[in-house]
Amino acid sequence: MSITLPGELPADAPVIAPHVTLSSVSEEISSRVLIDRAPLWWWVGFGVSSALFVVLVVQMAWLFINGIGVWGVNIPVAWGFAIAEYVWWIALASGGTIVSALFFLTRSPWRSATNRIAESMLLSAAPCAGLMPIMHLGRQGLFYWLFPYSNVMGVWPQMRSPLYWDFICLICYIIMSVFYYYAGILPDLATVRDLAQTKVKRIFYGILALGWRGSAAEWQNQRIVYAIMSAIMAPMVISVHSVVGLDFAAGLTPGWHDTQFSPYFFFGAIISGTAVIIMLTILVRWGYSLQDVLTEYHFNAMAKLMLVGSLMLTYAYVWESFGPMYGSNVAEKTETYQRIFGFTAAPFWAEKTLTVIIPQLLWFPFVRRNQLLLFLISAGIIVGMWQERYVFTISSLAHNYMPSSWGVFYPTFWDWAALAGTIGLFLTMFFLFLRFAPIVSIAEVREIIEQEKSK
Amino acid sequence: MKSLFGIIATFDTPNAVKDAARHLRQSGFRAFEAYTPYPVEGLGEIIHPGPKRLLPLLMFATAVVGAAWGYWIQYWDEAVNYPLNVGGRPFNSWPAFVVGTFEFMLLVTVVVGFVGMLAASRLPQLYHPIFEADAMQRASRDRFVICVESTDPRFDADTVRREFTLLGAERIEEVRA
Repeated sequence: MSITLPGELPADAPVIAPHVTLSSVSEEISSRVLIDRAPLWWWVGFGVSSALFVVLVVQMAWLFINGIGVWGVNIPVAWGFAIAEYVWWIALASGGTIVSALFFLTRSPWRSATNRIAESMLLSAAPCAGLMPIMHLGRQGLFYWLFPYSNVMGVWPQMRSPLYWDFICLICYIIMSVFYYYAGILPDLATVRDLAQTKVKRIFYGILALGWRGSAAEWQNQRIVYAIMSAIMAPMVISVHSVVGLDFAAGLTPGWHDTQFSPYFFFGAIISGTAVIIMLTILVRWGYSLQDVLTEYHFNAMAKLMLVGSLMLTYAYVWESFGPMYGSNVAEKTETYQRIFGFTAAPFWAEKTLTVIIPQLLWFPFVRRNQLLLFLISAGIIVGMWQERYVFTISSLAHNYMPSSWGVFYPTFWDWAALAGTIGLFLTMFFLFLRFAPIVSIAEVREIIEQEKSK
Repeated sequence: MKSLFGIIATFDTPNAVKDAARHLRQSGFRAFEAYTPYPVEGLGEIIHPGPKRLLPLLMFATAVVGAAWGYWIQYWDEAVNYPLNVGGRPFNSWPAFVVGTFEFMLLVTVVVGFVGMLAASRLPQLYHPIFEADAMQRASRDRFVICVESTDPRFDADTVRREFTLLGAERIEEVRA
């Protein structure tokens, strides 16, 4: 028996507004890419993003000249913002792949209009993640030593280390995501090519579309490969984020040395990735007036996913505190106590409020349909997840086994500049995706339109 | 005068194009292809019947080779070329190599799958005679077109036109390239 709560979206609610047709969706979405002048809000957004990106460039220059001493990291807290933000960014990116790949396999209808936003988001977030550990190296110029290439020094990287696995995972993940994105966008680039009016655009999108014709044979090949790619990307992204968890779990530090880290990180990826996709979807929907294509159905579905992520994360939080209390390791207990009531108490409680308590509002159907509330909850989750990454990175190192070597971490101006700068890089890239590539998967929305018609 | 590439017909529903394809195949035509704005379920099987296991098999074979390759890189580095004694652990410490093997396997599988997808569709091919048809402008938007190519042994312009008219085509045109 099913119960319908007041204000709940009916089960047969349309995924796409009924008056959207095959040609209107093609023209609507292509025209956003093909217009000669981008709208004002795009320029404002892009301008602010680029300004923040300049902050990143300046920050990196200062860092490369002076070394990582410009940050607040020191002994004992040798991992500061950069590592916490690495985890934060890679979680956002992973969430994009989960929405795109996992829900392709489940044939969820809401995935079709949002997957391109999710993938553009992940392709913008992954470089930010990749930049963090590179900036954190003492000698950034030698980061290529991580590649296993035969060199005149005759040395090879140490491949038994989780930190090294992490590098392999990230590099494979970024390359695979580019191919996955391209395999999906190919038919849409052909649509844009066919609608382009000027010669330059026709040549530009013509080359990008690789001559896609939409023949039955091409569709057959594309669908087979795309389905297999999705089936690969879903476990791939789980492995990537699990290995990020191993970076910490393999460290013999109280608070980190815990088997739950891999799933715990993955739960964080689901909630924070969905949150950022919701925020970007609201931006795209409003900015590009795509109310007919990105409907309440999508927000309702993604809000539910976010709620599930929040509950899974809550489970991990409970275990994170229960484990040390149940065990007999004094250092673990002390560290947990310090984390909750000590130096990191404020971000700890703020983070629990933002990622556990406030998302419970999503149980109410009207909250899932209210975009302002969704936007605020999502923003809160992203901020909360940042604090979460910060708290566990800092507090474990700050309260290691030896009380005599306890210490605290104070971020410097350049720490904050790195955060602001990578947000700038992320937004700059996302705004470029928004301008030059169809932001909604036109071909897949067409299929949804046909399904809706036959419903 | 450009030579005749084929006769192209436009249909407005996915079912119409499926019926047309089925009819053409039953009438003995072989060199024809449909162009649709999204993958119409069952259409590919009508036009290109037979098992389609090549791409999945290629990706599976790549996965096997990729796993072996990925493991081999790590084994050769850590046990043969640059052995490091870490706490007396074996040089060929396979559990530590699982992650690298897994990721490398998936990476080559996805890359080869992508290249295989393009190769199987003969892409990239920026020019194709079919682009000369006006109907193709809508095939990437909202129309379902089908083209019988002149290379078909049973091809005869008038017969094909008549068939398309009977099948209820919206418009019929010649493709010359």
